[in-house]
Amino acid sequence: MAAQLPDMTTTLAPGAAPPLPSLVSARHLRTQRVARAVRLWVPAAILVALFFICFIWPYVYTIPSGTVGDILAAQEPPFSPGHWLGTDPVGVDVFAMLVYGGQVAFEVGFAVTAIGMVIGGLIGLAAGYFGGWTDTVLSRIIDVLIAFPALVLALAVAEVLQPSELHLIWALSVFSVPAFARVTRGSTLVVRQLPFIQASRLSGTRSWRIILRHVLPNVIPGIISFSLIGVGIVVILEGALDFLGLGIQQPKPSWGGMIARGQTVLTATPEYVLIPSIVLLIFVMALNLLGDALRERWGVR
Amino acid sequence: MSDALLEVEDLRVAFAVGGREVRAVDGVSYRIEPGRTLAIIGESGSGKTVGCRAIMGLLPTGTIISGSARLRGSELIGLSDAQLRKHRGSDLAMVFQDPARSLNPTMRIGSQITEAIRTHRKMSKSQARDEAVELLRLVRIPAPDRRFHEYPHQLSGGMRQRVMIAIALACRPKLLIADEATTALDVTTQAQIMELMLELQAELGMSLVFISHDLGLAASYADEVVVMYAGKIVEQAPAKKLFGTGGTVRMRYTRALLDAIPHIERAAHTELPVVTGRPPDPTDMPPGCSFAPRCAHAADDCLAKAPALAEHSPGHSWACWHPCENGVAQ
Amino acid sequence: MALAQQVQLQRDPGARSDIVRRVTGSPALQLVGRRLLTAIPVLLGVTFLTFVVMNLIPGNPARLILGINATPGQIQQTDIKLGLNHPFWDRYWLWIDGLLHGNLGIAYSNQQSVNTDLAQHLPVTCWLLLYTLVVSLGLGVLVAVLAARKPNGIADRLSLAVSMLGLSIAPYVLALVLIYVFAVKVQWFPAISNSLGSSPLQAIRALTLPAASIGFPLFAVYSRLLRADIVEQMQREDYIVTAKAKGVSPWRVLIVHATRNSMFTLITLVALNLGTLIGAVAIIEPIFSLPGIGAELIGAIQINDLPLVEGIVVVFALVTVAGNLLADLMYAVLDPRIRYGRSAS
Repeated sequence: MAAQLPDMTTTLAPGAAPPLPSLVSARHLRTQRVARAVRLWVPAAILVALFFICFIWPYVYTIPSGTVGDILAAQEPPFSPGHWLGTDPVGVDVFAMLVYGGQVAFEVGFAVTAIGMVIGGLIGLAAGYFGGWTDTVLSRIIDVLIAFPALVLALAVAEVLQPSELHLIWALSVFSVPAFARVTRGSTLVVRQLPFIQASRLSGTRSWRIILRHVLPNVIPGIISFSLIGVGIVVILEGALDFLGLGIQQPKPSWGGMIARGQTVLTATPEYVLIPSIVLLIFVMALNLLGDALRERWGVR
Repeated sequence: MSDALLEVEDLRVAFAVGGREVRAVDGVSYRIEPGRTLAIIGESGSGKTVGCRAIMGLLPTGTIISGSARLRGSELIGLSDAQLRKHRGSDLAMVFQDPARSLNPTMRIGSQITEAIRTHRKMSKSQARDEAVELLRLVRIPAPDRRFHEYPHQLSGGMRQRVMIAIALACRPKLLIADEATTALDVTTQAQIMELMLELQAELGMSLVFISHDLGLAASYADEVVVMYAGKIVEQAPAKKLFGTGGTVRMRYTRALLDAIPHIERAAHTELPVVTGRPPDPTDMPPGCSFAPRCAHAADDCLAKAPALAEHSPGHSWACWHPCENGVAQ
Repeated sequence: MALAQQVQLQRDPGARSDIVRRVTGSPALQLVGRRLLTAIPVLLGVTFLTFVVMNLIPGNPARLILGINATPGQIQQTDIKLGLNHPFWDRYWLWIDGLLHGNLGIAYSNQQSVNTDLAQHLPVTCWLLLYTLVVSLGLGVLVAVLAARKPNGIADRLSLAVSMLGLSIAPYVLALVLIYVFAVKVQWFPAISNSLGSSPLQAIRALTLPAASIGFPLFAVYSRLLRADIVEQMQREDYIVTAKAKGVSPWRVLIVHATRNSMFTLITLVALNLGTLIGAVAIIEPIFSLPGIGAELIGAIQINDLPLVEGIVVVFALVTVAGNLLADLMYAVLDPRIRYGRSAS
C-alpha cells in the first residue's frame, strides 16, 4: 500500500481504505507550484537582465563604441583584454554592438507592440463589441492588411520610407496593429457572449461603461500574453529587415546587421553570426516563455 | 450468494483536488442479480456516477480506487486497462447522459456502432454492417438502412439516445448501466427510452442499472433501489418496500426527496417542501451524519456521530439515528 | 398544433433556412458563396493599398532609373514613356485593368513583362513551399499525436521543448546555422543553389536546408497547437468517454476519434500561417541564392524597380487571400455538420 503519485489510477487490496492522498499530493503540489514559479520568474529575470545590460550598464560603465572601430584591434577573439566578446573584422567591439543593437531591439519591439496593443486593441474592441456595420467595415480593413505576409508588408513600407529606426517602427506597426486588432476582436466576441455582459446590457448600462469595467478586464490578460509573444515576432522581423539592409543602416549597430555582416565570413569565423544569433534567440525565447507562463497563470486558452 | 451478476463490496474512490482529498465514493456495497433492475438515486455530487465509472475503469488518471467489484465472480478492481477493455463494451456497457455530446460528431452513426461490434467480435465489415442495422432495428429506429449512413446531428435527441443504446448493446452485454440516460430528454421521450430499455432487458435477459436523481423513475421502473448521499449509501431496499402501498421510507433524506415531488393531489397554493441547503463540501465533511445539517429532524447525536448503514428490517437497510416512523401510503 | 409548429419554426433557424437551402442547394454552397463575397472587397483593398503604397515613394522613379546625371528633358521623356504623367486615378484604373487581364505591368529594370519574370521564378518557390509544408505538417501531426498520447510524459515534454526552440528562432538565423553545420562542416547539402538541378534528388538536396529553415518554426507552431487541441479533446469531450466505454484501444481513440476532430483546428492554423509561410521565402531564398520569387522581390527592392515590387507584392497578397479562402472551403467540405445540415427527423 505504498503511497503513489497521482499520475495513475491505483487500486488497493479489497477492504483497505485509501491512504490519505493529501499527504502525497501536498509534496507533488509543492513541486508543481515551484516549477510554475520558475517558469514565470526565470524568463522575467532574463528579460530584466538583458534590459539592464542594454540600457543601464552603458551609463554605469563606459563601453567601447559600437560604431567606430579600432583597426589595430581588428578581429580579436572573445575574452581578449578590453573586448570581452572580441572585435569584428574592422575592429568594432562585439559586445558594444550587441548592447546598442539590443537597445534598438527593445525600443522597436516594445514600441511597435505598444502601438499595436493600443490602436489595434481599440479597433478590435470596437469591432467585437459593437458588431454590425462597424465590425464588417473594420474587419475588412484588418483582412486587407493581414492578407499581406508580414515580412512582405514591412519590406514594401520600408522600401517607401527611408530606412531609420522611426520608420522601421511605422513599417512594423502596419503589421502589428491588424494582428492585435484581430486577436482583441476574437477575445471581445467571446467575452461579449458571457451571461453577465448580457445582463449588464439588458439592465441599460451604457456601452462604454460595460466595455471599461467588464469587457476590458476579461480581454486584457489574453492581450498581454499575446503581446509578449508579439514583441518576439517584431524583434525577429526587425532583425530580418536589418539583415536585408532595409532597416537600421550601417554603421549603426543592430543584431540583424551583425548577422548579415557575419554571413560573409561564416565559413572561417562563424562566431560573428553565432553570437548575435544566440542573444536574439535568448531574448525571443525569454519572451515566449514569459508569455506562456502568464497565459498559464491567468488561465487564458 | 454467488449467483449475483455484479457484487460490489466496500467500493471507495478518492482523488486529490487542490491538495485536499475528495472521497467521492466512501464505502458502497450492493448486488445485482441477473435480469433485475437497480436504481441508484442521488443528487449531483453524491458519487453515484463516479462509482459506476470506477467499475468500468473510465475515471481519469489520478484516481485512487479500493474495494471490490466482482462480475460473475471475477474481480474488476485492480485490473489493468488492457484487461478491463475486454469487459468494457462486451460484458459491461454504459449509456451516457447527453447523446448530443456523447457521439462523435464527425463519424457516421453506422461506423460508431460497427466500431463497438468489431472491437470485441471478429467480423467482416459487411457482417458488422448487417449486425449494426439489426441493432438499429432492435432499438426501434425507423428506416435503419438509411440512418446507418447519417451523422449524429441529423437525428433528434431521442433517436440519438437510441443509437447510444444500440452501441451499448452491440455485444449483448450482461449488464447495462444507464448514467442519467434520460435526464437530457423531454418527458415523453424519457418514458419511451425507459420503456425501450426495459423491453430490451426482458428480450436479452440483461441486468440494468440506472443512475438518476429522479426518485419517480426509481418508483416506476426499478426492482431494487439504492439512495446515495455524499458518497455513502443511506437507504437500500427493494422498490416495493419503499414505494407503493405498504411501502415505508425510513431515511430522512429519502423522505425529504419523496416529499419534494409535486403531487396532483396536493392542496393548491401550498408551499413545496423542498430540501434546503446544499450537499456538504467533499473536502470538508462534517462529523456525524452528512445529511444532518439539512435535516429538519436532526438531533444532537446526529451531528456528533455518523450512523452506519444497517439492515434494520429484512431486505431494507438505512443509515439514520431517527428514521421516519411511518411510511407514506401512496 | 399549428402554433407549436410556428414557434418551432421561429426557434429553429435551421427550419427557416430549409426553404433557402432548397432554393440554393447545400449549406456548404451557401458558406462558399458567403466567403467568396467577403473576399471581393478584400481583394480590391489589397490591390488599392499596394498601388497607393508603391506610388507614394518620394522622389521621381524616372530619376531613380536614369540616375543623378539625368537632364530634365530625359526625365520628362521617361515619365511619358512610363505613363507617369497621368493623374493618380488614371494610373490606378490602368493598372487594375491590366491586373484583371492578368497583366502585371512592365519592369523598369529590364523592360520585361512582370508576368514573364514571375513565371520564370515561380516554379522554384512553389517546390520550396510544397516541400516545406508537407514536411512540417507531416512531422507536426506525428509529433503532436505522440506527445498527446501521454500528456506531461517524456515525449510530450521533449516535444514542448523542441517546439519552444522552433518558435523562438528566426528563420534566417536557422538558415545560417544549418548552412554552417550541414554545408560547410559536413557538406551534405549545398549552401548555394542557383537552380534546382536536373534530377529530383538534386532538387531535394538543394531545397532541404531552405525548407528546414522555414519549416522548423512552422513545425513548432503546428505540433504545439495540434497537441493542445488533441489533449483537450481527450480530456473534455464526452464522445471520447463513449469510445473508451466501447472498449476501443487507446491508440484508436487517440487517432481515429480525437485527432480526426482536431484536424479542423489544424486546417485553420495552416490557413492563418499561410502568410508567414509565403513571406518567409523573401528572406530565405536570397540566403541560398535560390532563383525564386522571394529573391526576385529582394532584388527588385534593391534596384527600386517599382512595377516589379508592386507586381510581386500583389501576387503574394492575392495568393494569401486565396489560400485562406481555400482553407475555409475545405472546412465546409470536411465538417459533416456543415456539409449535410439537419434533415427532417
